Amino acid sequence: MTDQPQETVSARPLRPLPGDPSMAEEVASMIRVDHAGEYSAARIYEGQLAVFGPDHSLTPVIRRMAEQEKEHLQVFEEIMSDRKVRPTVLNPIWHMAGFALGAATALMGTRAAMACTAAVEEVIDEHYQSQRDLLDHWDVEPELNKTVKAFQADEVEHRDTAIKHGAEQTPGYGLLSGGIKAGCRAAIWLSKRI
Amino acid sequence: MAKTTKSAKKPRKNARKESDKTPDEMRDAILDAALVHVPFDGWGEKAMRRGAADAGVTEAFARLAFPGGTSDMVDYYLQRLDTRMTARLSKMKLDKMRIRDRITTAVQVRLALNDEHREAVRRTVTWVAMPGHAELGVRALWRTADAMWRAAGDTATDYNHYTKRAILSGVYSSTLLVWLQDESEDYAETAAFLARRIDNVMSIEKVKAKLRDKTGDLPNIARILGKLRYPEARR
Repeated sequence: MTDQPQETVSARPLRPLPGDPSMAEEVASMIRVDHAGEYSAARIYEGQLAVFGPDHSLTPVIRRMAEQEKEHLQVFEEIMSDRKVRPTVLNPIWHMAGFALGAATALMGTRAAMACTAAVEEVIDEHYQSQRDLLDHWDVEPELNKTVKAFQADEVEHRDTAIKHGAEQTPGYGLLSGGIKAGCRAAIWLSKRI
Repeated sequence: MAKTTKSAKKPRKNARKESDKTPDEMRDAILDAALVHVPFDGWGEKAMRRGAADAGVTEAFARLAFPGGTSDMVDYYLQRLDTRMTARLSKMKLDKMRIRDRITTAVQVRLALNDEHREAVRRTVTWVAMPGHAELGVRALWRTADAMWRAAGDTATDYNHYTKRAILSGVYSSTLLVWLQDESEDYAETAAFLARRIDNVMSIEKVKAKLRDKTGDLPNIARILGKLRYPEARR
């Protein structure tokens, strides 16, 4: 489905080379970007819930997903303070951008909101998979690997829920989904670094 | 067989002589020796050379211990102070205190550690104030503020992570300058200065809380638009 080639983990050296980020730095960056991702996802759902209000028929579905994202966020917050990883500087931006994306797609229509969820969760799924590939490749951090695996399963479930609710039937699905995916990838790229 | 018993009997207390230590293991000894000279020579090649000589290693060995030269040594000195501060603070019951007392204690503990080499600290402040060393200085100050907040049990993972450290960097660095000039008994002037700075920070927090109260009642634009877009879902 993806339009850009995936980074092949098996081509990477088994240990970081001199000059590359060390394993500890790489893992810290993973925790930072995952925290930012769960934070933004929770904000997207908050934006959608704000538009749909308490009585819309989709509200219970979205609320369930939002609650799961908040649980994920809490886990990453704990990991972050235990391991003394700093959060990304961009959190205030994700705070606003996430909410705005959720609210905007929800205003476009119920299917557009679901298309947004499907697109975001698809990118998160890919992103978690690439983290797990790297952790497997290096054979480090079994705990973190397990956490990421469990969360990845939830994200895939969210994507399937969204598709079940007609995500792909929204007019201009390809364009909307492609745009959101590109935005999410850019956000991941940035959060990994700063 | 007899040979092994013989060697096992031999006391091998100092199996590794001092000269067998790796450069990394000798960092503390070289730094401690250099710290004696820093008040007179300042941070630089001279202090490094004399520190190496006093620690009983060659200059080349000291270079291996601190590959980046003086910068590495200053950085290691400041990092070691952070580690020692964290160790001391972890033995005190900080979690029983109010936040402002935790931070005051952290700064006081840090100043007490600085007091072991007050003149060297003065030289360090001069050294990091030089333009070429500004980045190291800022990074080290941030690391110190980070260690203080972590010791105080801070778990903020949002923008507060940054504002807290930025504010504390300002409080600690200004207090440090006052402390270097302070000739009063038990550094009473420094303690008073620190208390006033913490009062300032608390008043900022009060304004922030007031602002939050006032902006809390603002209408939620997304909710209004949502009601217009989905009138059927209105209660």
